[in-house]
Amino acid sequence: MKEETLLSINGVSVAFKINGEFYTAIDDVSLELHRDEVLAIVGESGSGKSTLATTVIGLHNMNATQVTGEINFQGKEILELSEDEFNDIRGDEMGMIFQDPLAALNPLIRIGDQIKESLDVHSDMTEDQKQARVHELLDQVGIPHPERVAKQFPHQLSGGMRQRIIIAIAIANKPQLIIADEPTTALDVTIQAQILDLLKDIQRENHAGIILITHDLGVVAEVADTVAVMYAGEIVEQAPVETLFNNPKHPYTRSLLRAMPTIDSESDELYVVEGAVPSIKDMDRNSDLFAPRIPWTKPDVGHPVLKEIAPNHYVRGESWREFKFKDEL
Amino acid sequence: MSEQNETQVQPSLQATVPEIKDGAVIVEAPSTWRTIKREFLKDKVALVSAVILAVLFLTVIIWSFFIPKTAVTNVNIIDQYLAPGTQGHILGTDEQGRDQLLMLVASAKNSLLIAFMITVIGQVVGIIIGLITGYFRGVVDTVIMRIIDFWIVLPFIMIIIVLVSIVPKYNEWTLIWIIGLFAWQGTTRLIRSKVLSESDRDYVRASKTSGSSNFMIMFREILPNLASIIIVDSTLTFAGNIGIETTLSFLGFGLPNGTPSLGTMVSAATDPTVLATKAYVWLPPVIFIIVICVGISFVGQVFRRAADARQRLG
Repeated sequence: MKEETLLSINGVSVAFKINGEFYTAIDDVSLELHRDEVLAIVGESGSGKSTLATTVIGLHNMNATQVTGEINFQGKEILELSEDEFNDIRGDEMGMIFQDPLAALNPLIRIGDQIKESLDVHSDMTEDQKQARVHELLDQVGIPHPERVAKQFPHQLSGGMRQRIIIAIAIANKPQLIIADEPTTALDVTIQAQILDLLKDIQRENHAGIILITHDLGVVAEVADTVAVMYAGEIVEQAPVETLFNNPKHPYTRSLLRAMPTIDSESDELYVVEGAVPSIKDMDRNSDLFAPRIPWTKPDVGHPVLKEIAPNHYVRGESWREFKFKDEL
Repeated sequence: MSEQNETQVQPSLQATVPEIKDGAVIVEAPSTWRTIKREFLKDKVALVSAVILAVLFLTVIIWSFFIPKTAVTNVNIIDQYLAPGTQGHILGTDEQGRDQLLMLVASAKNSLLIAFMITVIGQVVGIIIGLITGYFRGVVDTVIMRIIDFWIVLPFIMIIIVLVSIVPKYNEWTLIWIIGLFAWQGTTRLIRSKVLSESDRDYVRASKTSGSSNFMIMFREILPNLASIIIVDSTLTFAGNIGIETTLSFLGFGLPNGTPSLGTMVSAATDPTVLATKAYVWLPPVIFIIVICVGISFVGQVFRRAADARQRLG
């Protein structure tokens, strides 16, 4: 069904400078995204999923960030591009959808002009053509009366409409790669479903690849093809979506899935993964980073590595083989 | 054009969504002007100040076009120090026998114009440098901010006096540029601090992901969001610049001879007899300066409150 590789991330590590010292936020992540594929990156807050996305689209402040590894996008090594070369790609071949639609829209610029921005940069359309394209985009993302909305300011729209505008901006130039950073977090559930359907439609139309960053496993189950679970800046498990939901292996994945309330659970209590992701200042990269949160299980010795245990199913370390939940012991 | 479109597109909509009409009629950031209006209505002193300022500015600007150059340059010793009301001189005459009222209008025009030009220079330079330092940060920021720190501690009145004395063939434009050298540092600091916080906002990042260049992000995305503090800052520095120019002219280092200034008019009071017995010579320009500066300050406060929701009265 897919196979044409759009984006390949190879051994990428990102370190942030904090008080003069570099701390690793993402450690040796490798991923591949194909055309027509939705790759979901899942993890709790602080697991490095947004950092990975901002690395791909080059939003880091390079004065305080160290990025190593390779990111190949349609044959271009994007970590080696200059700012100008990168600007040619951004907004044209890749687009980003932000989490908070109000913050991501400039409060003082009309909706139409904000959508037009990436057309201004990347296309040589005439004003009239741009205008027409803006209306077409607004129509495509399901906004009624595009002519009117194009003249409004962000504060005049509802949250769901703003998120549609953000999507319209991201797809204005029919990008091959769409990075969606928690696109539905700020929306209520009914709007979430609409937005996800919209993303799917757009993807089908442009044969784009989508990187979907989320902590909502319901969203993942609905739209993703492949899922990468991140913890403390590493991928701990990666698998096609059915495999991951039906046959999760890594203790972290299993804990996350267990923490999801289901309609047929007998207990009133929700499962809680104890503790939190360690601060990047306290991470010992030579140990099993998830072990402190499941102290009853024997940790891996040294730093566990990612292994392919079944075709396309990667799991980090060996401790998962013996892992049982506390109440199963 | 937008209005025509508005009516063509489904007129039935107008009834259901009334705010469209507002959106089409009010062009620039509608809420800002409404806020300013509300603040003025709450603050009667500022409202009165604004009216007085408007009347004074308009009178000065329009009247000054009709004052012949000779009225402020001709010397007529016989009419020296005429009391107000005599021989048709409403405010009397000065040491050279010139009509005080005409002098006041001509001086006010010069002083206001010069203060305005200095403000423009200070704001333009300050906004550009502030945007650059705040947006790019890093080494650029550190270097420029240290230069400004140094510049601000310099005793600028003295340096201006020295420059004015050593520059040959100097006219009002030279004065404007010399004062302008010291007019941009405060604005730069203010703009920089605001840009530092604005450039971390998501809309700047979003604009970046659209492929916009740094230049476009600075001037198209961030600059409009600074509009309110720029209005406040330019209003208040304008009042300050009137003060600086009149001070220099009072000391004799401001506008050259032949170009009357409020400061030179006030300096008539340096003569002890004039100071003691002929208040009508120096009092009008003094009152004018005080009214203008205090009025601008009140109006500036209104703008400041309109720009900062926490300080609002209305």
